[in-house]
Formats: sequence, C-alpha cells, structure tokens
Amino acid sequence: MAGFPPPGATILGDDAAEKKIDEVGKKKVDYFNLPCPIPFEELQREAIMSLKPELFEGMRFDFTKGLNPKFSLSHSVFMGPMELPSQGAETLKIPTAHYEFGANFIDPKLMLIGRVLTDGRLTARVKCDLTDDLSLKANAQLSNEPNMSHGMINFDYKGKDYRTQLQLGDGSLFGASYIQSITPHLSLGGEVFWAGQHLKSGVGYAARYENDKMVKLACAMHVPFASLLWVATGQVASTGMIAMSYVQKVSEKVSLATDFMYNYLSRDVTASVGYDYILRQARLRGKLDSNGCASAFLEERLNMGLNFVLSAEIDHKKSDYKFGFGLTVG
Amino acid sequence: MASQAARGGVSLPEKRPPKRQQPDSDTILAKLTNSEIVSKGKRAACDTAYVTKRLLRSTGKAAWIAGTTFLILVVPLIIEMDRDQQLTELELQQQSLLGAPPVGAPQK
Repeated sequence: MAGFPPPGATILGDDAAEKKIDEVGKKKVDYFNLPCPIPFEELQREAIMSLKPELFEGMRFDFTKGLNPKFSLSHSVFMGPMELPSQGAETLKIPTAHYEFGANFIDPKLMLIGRVLTDGRLTARVKCDLTDDLSLKANAQLSNEPNMSHGMINFDYKGKDYRTQLQLGDGSLFGASYIQSITPHLSLGGEVFWAGQHLKSGVGYAARYENDKMVKLACAMHVPFASLLWVATGQVASTGMIAMSYVQKVSEKVSLATDFMYNYLSRDVTASVGYDYILRQARLRGKLDSNGCASAFLEERLNMGLNFVLSAEIDHKKSDYKFGFGLTVG
Repeated sequence: MASQAARGGVSLPEKRPPKRQQPDSDTILAKLTNSEIVSKGKRAACDTAYVTKRLLRSTGKAAWIAGTTFLILVVPLIIEMDRDQQLTELELQQQSLLGAPPVGAPQK
C-alpha cells in the first residue's frame, strides 16, 4: 500500500511503526455511512441507568400476569410515607397506601400501556411506528386534583444518520430536537422548547461520544483493559443547567459512572459517583453524591420470575434516612 | 464573640485576663497558687481538655458517617459477590462430577 516507509529506513523509530499498524488496522471512516445516533432524550441513558435507580421508601409489591404473548395485566401495591414539599427545613412525610391496576399491550409496531391508581390518577402511554422511519409517542395523565392533568405527543423521524423530534404538549408546550452523527463515535444535537403556560423558553445543546474495543492500537496510547466501552456526554441548556456524564464499562459485569451538574444561574453544583454490578443472580447499584447522599439499590432473583428489591438512601446533611423493600413477580 | 466567628468554626477560647494579684497574701501556698507558672499550667490544662473534647466529637461524627456509608455501599456488594462465587464453584463442581469437562475458564 502506498504511504509506507521503505523497509530500510530506521531513522523514524517507534512513532512510525505505530502509525504503520494504525493505517493497516483502521478502516477508512466512511462519512456517508455513519450509524444512526441515539434519540436526544436518551442521550444520557447509560448514566441514568447506573446512577439513578428508582429509589423508594416503604413496601412495594408488583405482580404482572401475561394473558397472551402480547397482552398482560399488572397489579401493584405500595405502602409507605410520601414526601410533601414543605417550605421549612423539615421534610414532611405522610404515610400513604395505594393499589395500581394496569394493562399492557406490546406489539413490535404498537405499544399501549395504561394504569389506574386508587387515588384517582389515570396514566396512559402510546407508542406507535407509523412507518419505518416515523414514529409517534403520546402520554397523558388525568387526575382528580385540578390543574394536574396533562398530555404530550411526540413525533420522531429517523433519518440515515440523524434523528429529529417534534413535541407538542398541553399548556402550549412546544419543543423540537435534532441529533446528528458526526463520526462513528461522536454525535451532536440541539433542542429548543417553549412553554407557554410558564412563559419559559430555552435552547440546549448536547454531545455524546462512545467508544469500544480500544485495544487494537488505533491510537498511540496503550490501553491495558481487554475491551473498553465508555460513553461521555455533555449537555447545556439555557435554563442554566450544564450536565456532563461519563460511564465506563470496566468489565462485562461492572460499570462505573460519574455525573456532574452545574447550574450557572443559581450556582449549584452536584457531582456523583456510582457503580453498577450486574451479577448472574443480582444487580446492585450504588451511588455517592456531593450533597452528602449515599444510596444503594439491589435487585435479587430469588426464583424464576421472582425478584426481591431493596432500596436504601442516607442523606447525611439533612439526616434523612429512607429504606424500602419489595417483591416483583412476573 | 465576633472575632471568633470571623476566624471560622474552631478556635481556642479567648485568653482570659490574668488573675489580679492579691497583695496581702504572705503564705507560701498562696504565693505558689498565684504564681505565673501555676496559672499558665491551669490554662494549658483547660485548653487541652477543650481541644480533646472537640476532637473526640468530630472523630465520632466522622466515624459514624464513614461507617453507615460503608454499610450501605459496600456490605451488600461483598455479600452478593460471595454468593456469585459460591454459585460458580457449585456449577464447576457439578460439571466436573458429571464427567463433562468445563467448556472454558469460569467468568470472573
């Protein structure tokens, strides 16, 4: 192949040798065949999966019964204290209990999910693939309390190496987002939204870089791990929030994640570090925060289809301790 | 005290004014207790007690925070990893008992 130094040249040394391996090993990047990027709202999904599990306080029991390969019913009981927003330093907790009945219809092209709670709330979600590239998502929530009902509809269009989304909601909420793959690993995107009811509007930008299999000496740094998968994302919004996250898959069972949020309008900084262990019978997620919060979430498989869930959150600054346990069947 | 607050959280209590000498004490004991060295020694002992109390309290608080955080973050991890290792050992044992050699090395 053209471009290699002749075998007799010994002046160049290590750098040239590595560059030679580089040219042989790496394929030429085809900028016309880039992969389709992740949807804009799922940009930080690895970080969210590892760092933000659904912590809860109290007892939770979920039972899902499948009547059909596509249709299933779910029953869920929750008993525990619910926090109320209060102005003072003390958090106000009121013990509540509710039962939730739900029905799910899941098809490759159509997904319908509905839930009814005993405190009078009704939630519905629809996801439909209208064509190969265009899909529609809608969700609505109705409630007994006044002004707590809202609905939203999204249209997603998937292009060859880009995605766009249009969002319409009640209370004259309007949003649009666009994300594009720049290289096989890097994608950039932006969003704009306008909320008429709260008279807020904003613009945001995001970037996402993901990488795997860095061992093939494609760059001059030698990476000692067998296979690395890491994802770095950054997001800026004009509400003053900058969010950056970095997730690294240390081995196939363990991944470590870290997250940094800075609000430049209110000068609020939060950083957190967490781990995600996926073992055969259990999944354990732990997180330590700069607000003095340590939390852990454990899901253990007791039997086929029977999962035991434990959640713990300790806030040292506010001396607020929350522990929960639950069982998930089906 | 305003000056103490300006300096920050922790500081020794302010220097107390020296005890007024009692001019009509002639006994050796009175002279000894009013002497410079004894009053300085008393002041040092008070300061030491104060500092030790504060240090113990902050060490106790740090130990509590470290202990409970370790309990939440690390102890379930150790328990689960131990169970996974036991399960792997059991599977390996069963595979070797049944005669079929294990296909590959057990995953770490």
